[in-house]
Amino acid sequence: MDIVKKVVTWARIKSPWVLHFNTGACNACDIEIVAALTPIYDLERFGIQLKATPRHADILLCSGPVTRQIGDRLIRIYEQMAEPKFVVAVGTCASTGGVFKGCYNVKSGIDQVIPVSLYIPGCPASPKAIIDGVVKLLSTLKE
Amino acid sequence: MDAEETKQKLVSKFVLPDTSIRSPRTRRVFMEIDYARFREALEYSYNGLAYKALAAITGFDEGENLAFMYHMSNEEGVVLSIKTFVKKADPSLMTITDIFPGADVFERELVDLLGAKVEGLKPGDRYPLTDDWPAGQYPLRKDWKVENLGEGGSCQR
Amino acid sequence: MPEMNSGEFKIPIGPQHPALKEPTSFSVALKGEKIMGVDVRLGYNHRGIEKACEERTYIQDVYLIERICGICSHSHSTAFVQAVEEIAGLEVPKRAKYIRMIIGELERIHSHLLWLGVAGHEIGFDTLLMYTWRDREIAMDILAEITGNRVNYGMNTIGGVRRDITAAQAKEVMEALKPLEERTKYYIDIATQEPTIVERLSGVGYVSKEDTIKLGAVGPTARASGVARDIRRDDPYSAYDEIPFNVITDDHCDVYGRAVVRLKELMETYKMISYGVMNLPEGPISVRAPRKIPAGEAISRYEAPRGEDFHYVKSNGSDHPERVKVRAPTLANVQCVKKMLENRYLADLPIVVAAIDPCFSCTDRLIEVKDVDKKSSDVIEWNDLTRYSIDWYRDRGIDMTKVGGLK
Repeated sequence: MDIVKKVVTWARIKSPWVLHFNTGACNACDIEIVAALTPIYDLERFGIQLKATPRHADILLCSGPVTRQIGDRLIRIYEQMAEPKFVVAVGTCASTGGVFKGCYNVKSGIDQVIPVSLYIPGCPASPKAIIDGVVKLLSTLKE
Repeated sequence: MDAEETKQKLVSKFVLPDTSIRSPRTRRVFMEIDYARFREALEYSYNGLAYKALAAITGFDEGENLAFMYHMSNEEGVVLSIKTFVKKADPSLMTITDIFPGADVFERELVDLLGAKVEGLKPGDRYPLTDDWPAGQYPLRKDWKVENLGEGGSCQR
Repeated sequence: MPEMNSGEFKIPIGPQHPALKEPTSFSVALKGEKIMGVDVRLGYNHRGIEKACEERTYIQDVYLIERICGICSHSHSTAFVQAVEEIAGLEVPKRAKYIRMIIGELERIHSHLLWLGVAGHEIGFDTLLMYTWRDREIAMDILAEITGNRVNYGMNTIGGVRRDITAAQAKEVMEALKPLEERTKYYIDIATQEPTIVERLSGVGYVSKEDTIKLGAVGPTARASGVARDIRRDDPYSAYDEIPFNVITDDHCDVYGRAVVRLKELMETYKMISYGVMNLPEGPISVRAPRKIPAGEAISRYEAPRGEDFHYVKSNGSDHPERVKVRAPTLANVQCVKKMLENRYLADLPIVVAAIDPCFSCTDRLIEVKDVDKKSSDVIEWNDLTRYSIDWYRDRGIDMTKVGGLK
């Protein structure tokens, strides 16, 4: 990849900014995502910071099976993120719909709506699994 | 007032047959009444028997009828559930939000999920379905399946 | 960031959402600085669970219902299995009831500490989030040790529980209670004695006892207005008819009261868990349940951390339920929120909503703000409103950064 992209990617590997978005989840994964940021698990030591707006985010951490209400908003948030951008489906519901697969008000997974770069299974995905997943994503960026 | 006493009072006030009212265990009373007398039963329960809290309204698809069970509780932990019926062909019922303001969201749920027509509801957002939910599709009706949405399964868009 | 002026005071407008109208969770009518009314739009988390329950077996439904809410998952699954057990006439062994109670109270600990951190975040006291969520990990560890998972424990089955508590685990539970108790006492001190916090929370989100009753509030929200409703005492289930405990109420009727109730409740919870562990009855942990449940109906209520969780189940003799109705506690408390915000300031919205401990995600709600006089309306993000409210209160002399360091 060209030099500009390499620099930008290096900066992103150094300290990616993440946006957390719940698409109708039961909140278990959301809490584990936030817990991953507290000092006990401390995602921040990887330089990862939680950001409040899509425009500043490199990584979108998504929980939930995507309810009908939230689908359009999810697309809009994805569109507001600048390239390169990565979407992480956190938890079994975000990955496949989980126990809600087939329910009439859900789309059964993030990848039914936007492209997903990484799936972290678990019900809920534990903070350790979330950190493991995000670190794996960051290491693929190095290539 | 316990369940047994609640039951006695309702039986005598509304002349209910045994098949219409039962107290299967402590702190539970289940009764059924025709819609014409439902409002009176509700008011009597609220004013006369001190059932001041509305926990939920459960709607049922019972073929020819839509049924609605209003679950009320009192300070002694008793739950009184009053079930009433309207014809599915003309499923109109009156709001009870004048007595229980909290009934608003439960009644809207009956409208969205079962196709009930609740009259007297103040203008407001529907609940819980989206504004673009196709008309005439009532998910909780027994004959409704996800495939009815015609979107290739669970609301793919 | 463009700002909307209403007199001298500015409301932050977040990223514009031009083309398509985004659904908002709250719609606030503002006159000058005061809130005239709030509409709450729910349905974000509507997944179609009640319908799905009819299409699955009872056992599958236990796992589905557990995931209605990831914070009070044990509350929901216990409420459900209790209803099914009642219909089927099953006599759940005492040991199972005690285990359910212990798990339920451990769940209350993690939920209330979580809430305390979230409340801290909403008023600009992020350090509190870090400390309470650290302490909360004590409860999470014990739950994971006993049940195999941090959340969604899978402890319940129809007829009892699936896992026993070993003597070694029981000892660990008792050990874990000590630091939890100590930390909770510390948080009670901070909440009740730190002047900035008391000032920040007092009088905010006031709702009278009469209105609380009329609007049907439940749980700590109701108890903070002096309404002594607690399903554990009023309609006992599980082991609660045998366990001594007090129902905690407070008379402040405001956010401060809601914080105090939750914290003092935790002190009761520690006693209950201790009693349960020390008096754990011998015996089996479950009875066999039939696959097909005879026709019948039952109502089961549970005092979840947020308040009364109401479940109704109707069976038809098959292995699928005929009807399942779930009314989670937050739905009962939402009406009260509208009352709590009447004539308050926009800056109060985040903590007032947070104080009912709502069971929907905090991070993505959009708020529509309508200026009644200017006839204009804008959409703002929750995070922006939180920041605005922290600044607003700081301008009025309530500054969380002045609060001393936490231990």
